[in-house]
Amino acid sequence: MQKDLSKVRNIGISAHIDSGKTTLTERILYYTDRIHAIHEVRGKDGVGAKMDSMELEKERGITIQSAATYCNWKDHSINIIDTPGHVDFTIEVERALRVLDGAVLILCSVGGVQSQSITVNRQMSRYKVPRVVFINKCDRTGANPERVTKQVRDKLGLNAVMLQMPIGLEGDLEGVIDLVKMKAIYFDGDNGEKIREEEIPAHLLDEATGKREEMLDAVSMFSDELMEAVLEGEPTEKMIKDAVRKGTLALELAPVFMGSAYKNKGVQCLLDAITMYMPNPMDIRNVALDLKNNEQEIVLSSKPEDPLVCLAFKLEDGRYGQLTYIRNYQGFLKKGDTIINSRTGKKVKIGRLVRMHADEMEEIEESGAGDIVALFGVDCASGDTFTSSDVSYSMSSMHVPNPVISLAIIPVDNKAQSNMSKALNRFTKEDPTFRTYVDHETNETIVSGMGELHLDVYIERMKREYGAEVKVGAPQVAYRETITQRAEFNYSHKKQTGGSGQFGRVAGYMEPLEEGEYEFVDNIVGGSIPREFIASCDKGFRKSLEKGALAEFPVSGVRCVINDGAAHAVDSSDIAFQLAAIGAFKEGYRKANPVLMEPIMKVAVEGPTEFQGSIMGSLNQRRGIIIGTLEEGEYTVVEAEVPLSEMFGYSTVLRSLTQGKAEFTMEFSDYKQVPRNVAENLIEELRKKKKEQGK
Amino acid sequence: MLKEDLIKKNPLRVLSPADQGKSEAPKLGLVMSRAGLGKTAILVQIALDSMLRGNKVLHVSIGQSLEKTKIWYNDIFQDIARAGNLERAADIQEELMSQRMIMTFNEESFGVAKLRERLKDLIDQNIFQPDCLLVDGFDCSISPEKVLGQMRDLAKDMNINMWFSAVCHRGDDRVSKSGVPAPCHEADDLFDTIILLQPDAEKKCVALNIIKRDGKVGESRTNLTLDPSTLLILEK
Repeated sequence: MQKDLSKVRNIGISAHIDSGKTTLTERILYYTDRIHAIHEVRGKDGVGAKMDSMELEKERGITIQSAATYCNWKDHSINIIDTPGHVDFTIEVERALRVLDGAVLILCSVGGVQSQSITVNRQMSRYKVPRVVFINKCDRTGANPERVTKQVRDKLGLNAVMLQMPIGLEGDLEGVIDLVKMKAIYFDGDNGEKIREEEIPAHLLDEATGKREEMLDAVSMFSDELMEAVLEGEPTEKMIKDAVRKGTLALELAPVFMGSAYKNKGVQCLLDAITMYMPNPMDIRNVALDLKNNEQEIVLSSKPEDPLVCLAFKLEDGRYGQLTYIRNYQGFLKKGDTIINSRTGKKVKIGRLVRMHADEMEEIEESGAGDIVALFGVDCASGDTFTSSDVSYSMSSMHVPNPVISLAIIPVDNKAQSNMSKALNRFTKEDPTFRTYVDHETNETIVSGMGELHLDVYIERMKREYGAEVKVGAPQVAYRETITQRAEFNYSHKKQTGGSGQFGRVAGYMEPLEEGEYEFVDNIVGGSIPREFIASCDKGFRKSLEKGALAEFPVSGVRCVINDGAAHAVDSSDIAFQLAAIGAFKEGYRKANPVLMEPIMKVAVEGPTEFQGSIMGSLNQRRGIIIGTLEEGEYTVVEAEVPLSEMFGYSTVLRSLTQGKAEFTMEFSDYKQVPRNVAENLIEELRKKKKEQGK
Repeated sequence: MLKEDLIKKNPLRVLSPADQGKSEAPKLGLVMSRAGLGKTAILVQIALDSMLRGNKVLHVSIGQSLEKTKIWYNDIFQDIARAGNLERAADIQEELMSQRMIMTFNEESFGVAKLRERLKDLIDQNIFQPDCLLVDGFDCSISPEKVLGQMRDLAKDMNINMWFSAVCHRGDDRVSKSGVPAPCHEADDLFDTIILLQPDAEKKCVALNIIKRDGKVGESRTNLTLDPSTLLILEK
């Protein structure tokens, strides 16, 4: 274990799908002696890359779960989280970013900055993650690292500065020129493991000198010492590196490296860059909330002698049992220690402590601040904080988006039924954006998530890992209802059926709430509704929100204000006021002009310019609003906002429209009102469906 | 303030607007200045004013990203809403954004023929029917008369009002009779309205010098300025 924290790096690797993350990680593991042979993602040897441990991942060639691993490079310990590239799995990316101190943003030197890279970059900004850029696939036809660097500046808004330039491109890629050292670097040997440093080839010297000047111009902004040295003569290597590090940590500079992981070029230089320019755990300001002291912010110290604070950022229920990945922020954790889950207050004894290496693990005795390790057999939820018993801190919670799509799943037989329950139980624990419930009216199990692919992968995993064969219904959009105007209510609930009756009157108004889902305001004066029944009114309103009167979708964006009412000394009760509130809500809701809301997705379609017209047409047909287009030579991106309900099956349509040359990504943007004519049809369809179910 | 008041009180009302909808023959406008004085801010304010009046605007941005262009619109709208204390600002902004489309090109891929093709696609497929087109970042450095002439034909054929921005340079003293600086000094006949932004060191602001208004030269008004902090057009 690395005792010197300044030599620990917690790094994420994220980027657009197919830009070569997994291949790069594979090379990193090889050069750091974690693995002894290289297997390609879609390799002919059938082994698959180390980090893609799930069978499905190997088959599809995409990374679904972020696998954690660590390695050592030149006396530094590097923890790496490999993260998925598809937008449907961004919760994985977000979780990884939350616990990492720095990230490598991989871009394809041909494809450049694509929409997914923009999403990932936005997430990195949200968590203030310093980043270095690696332009991969420089051996591909059409490779242009300079254009990609410009895109990083223009599209991602990062101050991208090239610290290297390529020696040859496409098929002629030989190595890279280090603009800091002003040396040419070649990667010899069968797997590029032998690094040869030479003088810069004469024909590239002028270009390299020019690029170095550009680099020094940009980098010297972060160091007065370097600026002076640049003006006076020759700056030292250390001065440049220190300034790059300073700018990178301040999130004001993104150093750019390049190469081809597949061709084994440039990876070792990237590892050097990670150790040189990425922050160590002490460089990052991490805060926790002190639950004993009114949630006051506490800056964590990374010191081993301080009380322990760890965050559980990922749960996995695999063949070794339940694994909880934790990031240790402060203090020291040993096998046999007893720690507290600050959410539940429960004590947890650390039985086994392991360090993960994709799907293999290594037993360890202790873990210090800055480490990413896993615990065995700990019952907790993703996002829980563990501390030692002397403090009660909670790390701020992670941003978890609500699911936008759902579908019904029906097990084919009894065996499948029980396996399905097991699988769902595990998946929902692991992934907070994947949820499940039973629709009591249809008795169907509904799963919901962030997109078609997201659900598709879980259904596939259910089948493969649990043998749960299920029939899948058509995907359903998570519609919502809301009100658009203020409306009064004044409702009395009376029931006299012999014995003690029920009585409660609730009066007030409801109005649209701009932010948030629901708010309850108690404006009762003079005790017209007794104190003990105020909570009952709130409960009644909350129950009403579960199903709106318009089309039985959940209601959100409502503020309910009560200002009057009446009670009876004998007949009033908790249930009477709950029912009165439900009646009042119904009364007000009808008058408050309720409308249907639907999830709107931000869609980006990328493809050859010749298809721009058809792409825009296809989005327009789907009730999409074209926000804009971006045209760069032969390549175009169309950005639009499209209702999710219209996007089902779009990949097939797009493929046939563009001869398979275009691709799209989408992410949830907002809820917007469904146009009246569409809403009417939708409500009518639902009525019919209900009627049929009733038969 | 209500949306209607915002339209009425907009300082741009002093211009005879070249984007009045489709009842008149399409008009061409030009905003010129040295780099960094606020051309894009003015174009965006012209676009927002047009959108507030119910028109659809196509913003063609050359050399600037989609994201940056969107930020221009968001920032300027929010400043206008704040300055005018606009009611229901969020709803109005959402409504306006559906009346706007942005097309971005890099310098090399932009051309009049390509723009014509794109516009035709939009209109034929009934995707977006612009009433006003803004072209920001258009390279006027080398005798732009020919390309601007083609743009004028395009405006006429498609019946769309157009606004351009162009950069003039400190070292270049060429100027047309009406006072239009190079490089557009030989193209001034093509435009109905021409605004020149000039820094006013004394008042510490940027003045809008209206060289040509609705085809008439010599009615220069300088009571419009740009607020240096928000880049909003003000009437003094």
